[in-house]
Amino acid sequence: MARNKLEFPLDAEAYEIICKIGVGVSASVYKAVCLPMNSTVVAIKAIDLDQSRADFDSLRRETKTMSLLSHPNILNAYCSFTVDRCLWVVMPFMSCGSLHSIVSSSFPEGLPENCISVFLKETLNAISYLHDQGHLHRDIKAGNILVDSDGSVKLADFGVSASIYEPVTTSSGTTSSSLRLTDIAGTPYWMAPEVVHSHTGYGFKADIWSFGITALELAHGRPPLSHLPPLKSLLMKITKRFHFSDYEISTSACGKKSNKKFSKAFREMVGLCLEQDPTKRPSAEKLLKHPFFRNCKGVDFVVKNVLQCLSNTEQMFIESHILIKGVDDEEDDEEIVKNRRISGWNFREDDLQLSPVFPTAESDTSEFSPRGGDRIQDKPEGDNVVPTGSEVGLGLSNRNEDAKEQEGEVMGFDRDLVLEKLKLLKKSLEHQRARVLVIIEALSGEKEERNREEELLEMVEKLKIELEAEKMKTLRAEKESVLG
Amino acid sequence: MKGLFKSKPRTPADIVRQTRDLLLYADRSKSLPDLRESKREEKMAELSRNIRDMKSILYGNSEAEPVAEACAQLTQEFFREDTLRLLITCLPKLNLETRKDATQLVANLQRQQVNSRLIASDYLEANLDLMNVLMEGFENMDLALHYGAMFRECIRHQIVAKYVLESEHVKKYFDFIQLPNFDIAADAAATFKELLTRHKSTVAEFLTKNEDWFFTDYNSKLLESSNYITRRQAIKLLGDILLDRSNSAVMTRYVSSRDNLRILMNLLREASKSIQIEAFHVFKLFAANQNKPADIINILVANKSKLLRLLADLKPDKEDERFEADKSQVLREIAALEPRDLA
Repeated sequence: MARNKLEFPLDAEAYEIICKIGVGVSASVYKAVCLPMNSTVVAIKAIDLDQSRADFDSLRRETKTMSLLSHPNILNAYCSFTVDRCLWVVMPFMSCGSLHSIVSSSFPEGLPENCISVFLKETLNAISYLHDQGHLHRDIKAGNILVDSDGSVKLADFGVSASIYEPVTTSSGTTSSSLRLTDIAGTPYWMAPEVVHSHTGYGFKADIWSFGITALELAHGRPPLSHLPPLKSLLMKITKRFHFSDYEISTSACGKKSNKKFSKAFREMVGLCLEQDPTKRPSAEKLLKHPFFRNCKGVDFVVKNVLQCLSNTEQMFIESHILIKGVDDEEDDEEIVKNRRISGWNFREDDLQLSPVFPTAESDTSEFSPRGGDRIQDKPEGDNVVPTGSEVGLGLSNRNEDAKEQEGEVMGFDRDLVLEKLKLLKKSLEHQRARVLVIIEALSGEKEERNREEELLEMVEKLKIELEAEKMKTLRAEKESVLG
Repeated sequence: MKGLFKSKPRTPADIVRQTRDLLLYADRSKSLPDLRESKREEKMAELSRNIRDMKSILYGNSEAEPVAEACAQLTQEFFREDTLRLLITCLPKLNLETRKDATQLVANLQRQQVNSRLIASDYLEANLDLMNVLMEGFENMDLALHYGAMFRECIRHQIVAKYVLESEHVKKYFDFIQLPNFDIAADAAATFKELLTRHKSTVAEFLTKNEDWFFTDYNSKLLESSNYITRRQAIKLLGDILLDRSNSAVMTRYVSSRDNLRILMNLLREASKSIQIEAFHVFKLFAANQNKPADIINILVANKSKLLRLLADLKPDKEDERFEADKSQVLREIAALEPRDLA
């Protein structure tokens, strides 16, 4: 079946490097040609094994995954071999780069819906195949969806992917028959709430969430909450302050992007993916049958409408852009080069926003207002339980009728459940603390020295306050429902 | 497909029996060229479905957790006859997806208990020659990852690991882990490590019996390999082996050899910090040995100042209290050494 695979040589001499197209902490990606194969153009990811923090076991799993998966929408490795201290992974060269680079270079306000559906459908095919194989991708985002000039779309980067059939810990010898994972992986803005937070682990549905975020990313040019520092976006998610499905509607209904209209099918599809409760999200297979994908155009359509305008004017730009930027600025080629493992977090984009991890209420509100619009302005002063936490404010300030109705609905829906969840949340503070520590460690590994301890304490303090706020909120809701 | 499976009233044992029949068919089908191609394809598709069904019984699927009773039935029927052998020999005839399913199926079966017995172990004990088949299969690059994964699962059973260690197979790993395909070499390295670390008593027995050739080969082929990744993995594994208490007798002899010390000291000088750090974990055993032979002492004394300087500079990227504690102990040991007359 997969044996029509060409045999690429396992020898550095057989390849001629053309240029570097990206660089990360311990890996670089090159455009190269394979000389004995009619100078076929390839991409070579060179991972510095001495610098790489990843252990061999995870590298082994990644290369194994890449050589055993076989699907038109999945980026395979042709081969991999070591060259001195580097591991070279030879892959097809995808000339248009990632959807992230396409969007940010040519469609900063987002892609048209009829193109989004094409890209998403191809991606969903890949996800459906992966899940069927028992693999979770765990890092789905536009930056990991690569496009070739002929319109072929491939999901890439299995650096943090996991197989439910392969227990990660060899020592304990446990089988993961429960089909759930517990270690934290992914990129904050695209991470599902249960990945950040859950006690029971997460499954395939975490990829569906990231897929939904990716849909919004393609529609708006950036993922929701990306105006926040990544850590905070995580907090928002786990404390359920932010209704992602609202985001899509509110940004299209008001604010400066008001000229963008999306179909009901699209909004509904995204809403399904962004269900807080993973069990309510559809499987990839099911999602493929959603009306949004029913009258989806073929890849020719995006070749004509997206890629050709790229290749005429933008293609050269992207390549040179990446080439120049690759050296001194990793911001844009983050999608081409994934740093090993931890770099999947990619905190770079927010360098500037990082130092005030917990912005004050004022700065926060002003940051919100262009997006949150009327909500914030309508907020009665006294309603804010915690004066400093304006992210708390976002959740509490939905005092306009719509939001109130919705909130009432949520609370009335199952008060016991909410209480139960809050108790869980309380219990999980310690758990989150540990995870936050991991994040902070990852951060401080790449950033200037920061006082970890202090930051951690601050974070715990913050979580406590938020928990209090949640309690108050629940209490009030309880009262309301008693009264009502 | 999952729905399809549910609607069929087949028992797990039925599925195993059907699979066995289909495997027998697949095994023969090459020798029956007159069979219609469409018929053949149909049978192979059915075989693929059956293997996938067995997999979902053992692992569960998105809708259901595995049921212990069904797993036990399946396992029992599977090992009642020679199904594993058939599956292994037919693997080249299966398509990629089915090969992967089959590999996962075989892996899971090794862990299934029936009446609190690992019947896979009993089966393999009576069919140890299957390990030879898997070993040969590994040399076919298209199948290596599948056979390699099955092999690694089978050596979870001590009796099987013992057989492999006592056979000539173990020698092949010195070459396998240096194969140019990284994914295959890494698979071999994982198996090699498993063989030499999982079953403590078996490993200790093997090392005691085979000390001479094993460490000679280990040094020359792996620790002195020109391949960075081979050296790095080998030095790490050596540390794991020697630091295991069950191998203390072997360790004591290892750290009394001047040749071994020379190789370790060279690794300490490597440009790669990862290798240096791992080398330190073995080197410290030479230094900490309270009955150092005179020639070892003399080498250490002769290089005293260089060693002290090198070790003082050696620091892992991450703070590591234990490393620092070990290091200061080694520094003290070496600093206190005086030249000794060779007896």
